[in-house]
Amino acid sequence: MSVFPQPGTSLGNQGPTAYELQQVVEKNTSELVSELANLSDRARIQAIRSLPMSYDDRRRIRSRAISVKTSKNIFNIDCTQHVSRSFRRIGASVASARQWLVVWHGTLKEIGGRFGTSVLSYFLFLKWLLKFNVFSLIINFCFITIPQIVHAPNISNVTGFRGLELLTGVGYFNQSVLFYGGYNGEVIVSEPPYNMQLAYFFTIAAYLVLCGVSLIYSMSRSFQKNFVLESGPVSGGAWRLLCSWDFSVVNEKAIQNNKNNLGTQLKESLSERLQMKHTMSVSERMKYLSLHVLAWLLSLGLAVGSCAGIYFLGIDQLETSKLDHNTNDLTVEASTLLLPVVVSLINLIVPLLYSLISIMERYSNPRAKIYIGITRNVVLKMSILGILCYYWLNSVPQKMACWESFVGQSVYRLLMIDFIFCLFGTFFGEFLRNVIGTRCVPSLGVPEFDIARNVLDLIYAQTLAWIGIYFSPLLPVMQVIKLFIIFYVKKFSLSMNCQPPKHTGRAAQMQTVFIALLFFPSFVGALSMVAYTVWSLKPSNYCGPFQGLQTPFDTILSWTVYIQNLPGTHWVWWIFENMLRNELFYYLVTLIIFVITYFLWQITQGRKELIRTLRQQIVNEGKDKAFLLNRLQNTQKQGRQKESFRNQEFDQTPHFNPNWINTLPLDM
Amino acid sequence: MGGKASHLPKESLSEYQELTFLTKQEINEAHKKFCQLQTRENGPMERVSMQIIMTLPELKSNPFRERICHVFSTSDRKDGSLSFEDFLDLLSAFSDSATLEIKSHYAFRIFDFDDDGTLDGEDLRKLVNCLTGETDDARLTSEEMRQLIGNILEESDIDKDGTVNLSEFQHVISRSPDFVSSFKIVL
Repeated sequence: MSVFPQPGTSLGNQGPTAYELQQVVEKNTSELVSELANLSDRARIQAIRSLPMSYDDRRRIRSRAISVKTSKNIFNIDCTQHVSRSFRRIGASVASARQWLVVWHGTLKEIGGRFGTSVLSYFLFLKWLLKFNVFSLIINFCFITIPQIVHAPNISNVTGFRGLELLTGVGYFNQSVLFYGGYNGEVIVSEPPYNMQLAYFFTIAAYLVLCGVSLIYSMSRSFQKNFVLESGPVSGGAWRLLCSWDFSVVNEKAIQNNKNNLGTQLKESLSERLQMKHTMSVSERMKYLSLHVLAWLLSLGLAVGSCAGIYFLGIDQLETSKLDHNTNDLTVEASTLLLPVVVSLINLIVPLLYSLISIMERYSNPRAKIYIGITRNVVLKMSILGILCYYWLNSVPQKMACWESFVGQSVYRLLMIDFIFCLFGTFFGEFLRNVIGTRCVPSLGVPEFDIARNVLDLIYAQTLAWIGIYFSPLLPVMQVIKLFIIFYVKKFSLSMNCQPPKHTGRAAQMQTVFIALLFFPSFVGALSMVAYTVWSLKPSNYCGPFQGLQTPFDTILSWTVYIQNLPGTHWVWWIFENMLRNELFYYLVTLIIFVITYFLWQITQGRKELIRTLRQQIVNEGKDKAFLLNRLQNTQKQGRQKESFRNQEFDQTPHFNPNWINTLPLDM
Repeated sequence: MGGKASHLPKESLSEYQELTFLTKQEINEAHKKFCQLQTRENGPMERVSMQIIMTLPELKSNPFRERICHVFSTSDRKDGSLSFEDFLDLLSAFSDSATLEIKSHYAFRIFDFDDDGTLDGEDLRKLVNCLTGETDDARLTSEEMRQLIGNILEESDIDKDGTVNLSEFQHVISRSPDFVSSFKIVL
């Protein structure tokens, strides 16, 4: 990219003549043109687009590059035209597909225009999750639900629809396709036969694998963009603030607000810089350290306490529900809602306590405070989910007839109640806080939109949805409806009640952290729970697709035995026997991955070393430049002096590095 | 070039698509907006003057609106007026798919108030003044300003010549990941 001429850079004040200048420009242009002509069509279009010139200049370069190219290879014209035509057609179809996919374009623009990129990132995250769920809904519906409905509409309702089912998921929905129990693992007689057991197993597995792949992909891209580039020896505090000015904000008031915030932040960064210079005494440091330890103990204690509470409440409910079998009783049905309500209450109240705890701590920079807050909340949410999973997988299967459906219903209830709490939280948390802030206690002011808390709520709900996917294949329906409503509720609440967050910047980094959180504790946790269920737990005997088997995975074993006898499908069996069931294969794969990781790590280290050297070279070059300028000035001065005193002599020898031009950075 | 027709001819549309980062829909949208602006001009003009461009809601409150017009204008009279191609260039540089290199290049030129190819102390002072509010507790005192500019130069002026040049600026930009997402104007 170094050959691109860069208009606007001064050419020094020596003042080459206009003719020389023109020649230089012409030479650069023809170099550029010949380089472009050698590129492939696609790369050339991209390169011409990226030229920092005016439109007309780009058009001229393009026509010259194309004419050079066509004069070079006349025979290839048909092929290139064909390629470029198909390229253009693909581009157009992609663009029109994108237009179809871009929902909420106007709404998102409005949010970005008033509240800036950081708040917008919450909504983009929500939209991304929504797409994820729509996708899984389509897969599950097509491959599991439709065959089941078509084959055997398994509707044997003992009870009519009463309304409470929407919250509890039992009764009317009990035997429906919403839950595991509504499916049976028969082979649907058709040509070729459709085995429901296999369909159920493979659909869930394929969905989880696709989720994992797309999560890893987006996570790595986001990491690459936002973290790798950032590591450098210089801490760019002031520049970062200046560069993160949000051009997409168009609202007059919001811009004033942003300006004031930026001014305050710049002042803070200046004072922080001054503060950094004075160090804390040992006693002060001990005091802060003990406060930190105390805060961590308190927050972990709260998490452990709430987990214990949830576990014993669950066990207790399991005992009482076994005693009375009258399932038609509304109060019994409503009592199943107690556990989800408690969980949601804990999720609502404990984070508030955490923020109270963090008030007593003192952090050197606000970022540490945010990240520690996020860590504590993640620990809380994940330990709650962990204890629930333990309860579902350890205590429930022994006591329930159709325990998978029970787990599915529990997840359903948790999601529903969480949704209701989210709506209430928006109303009471943000609306009432706004009323209090504007009417009663003006010193509190209008509340800020808490991006971290809201995103963590989304991650929690998504984890639940992933956990429940095996036990309730149509759970994504709930998630889609829920996210859709939350989008509008949050947007409404945002525009009515909230003001944009004061500390902007670092939105991109936060986004990466959120995707990483969605992957690591959340997706990996849900995946391992489902995998444990499939590999090691005995499915219930009288309901669900895997009834009568020792573990759900046995269906794959019997399938491979069956397939072994079929002609022409021997390779499937071979792959299964020699790769999937072979420890040596996994051992080799792990070894290869380790080796690749090590190589990549070494390359990274090498690059870091290279960057360090290049930086040093830039510094050297700067020194050289200053030295040469000095020399030049001295020579001029001496020349003037020589004019007046003709007999004066030079005695200085130039002692700069004659190879200084080699120290130039190769390609920045 | 801009044309009074409400629809762009197919050939020029595909050329616009090839030479900018915009999609077909975005170009058509831009064309519609530009035609609306043109009708407010006295008499049929190919260029739209800076005053009228700045009435666009996307630019109206932008603190850099005049700089943006000047940087993207190819007018010989240096009056900041934009032709349709200039307008597309503007939107292309601020679009989602523009590369970091293009974005940082234009950001540099927008911040370079005196158009001399480097950001010196005066440019930085103007930049900070553009970005901070007018209220008393947000405005920087001259002492703070001096300190801030000193810090900025210390952070980014790698070759220590007292100014920030384009490659130094791009180096800074590459380490602030929020830049790409916030250097964005959507019609």
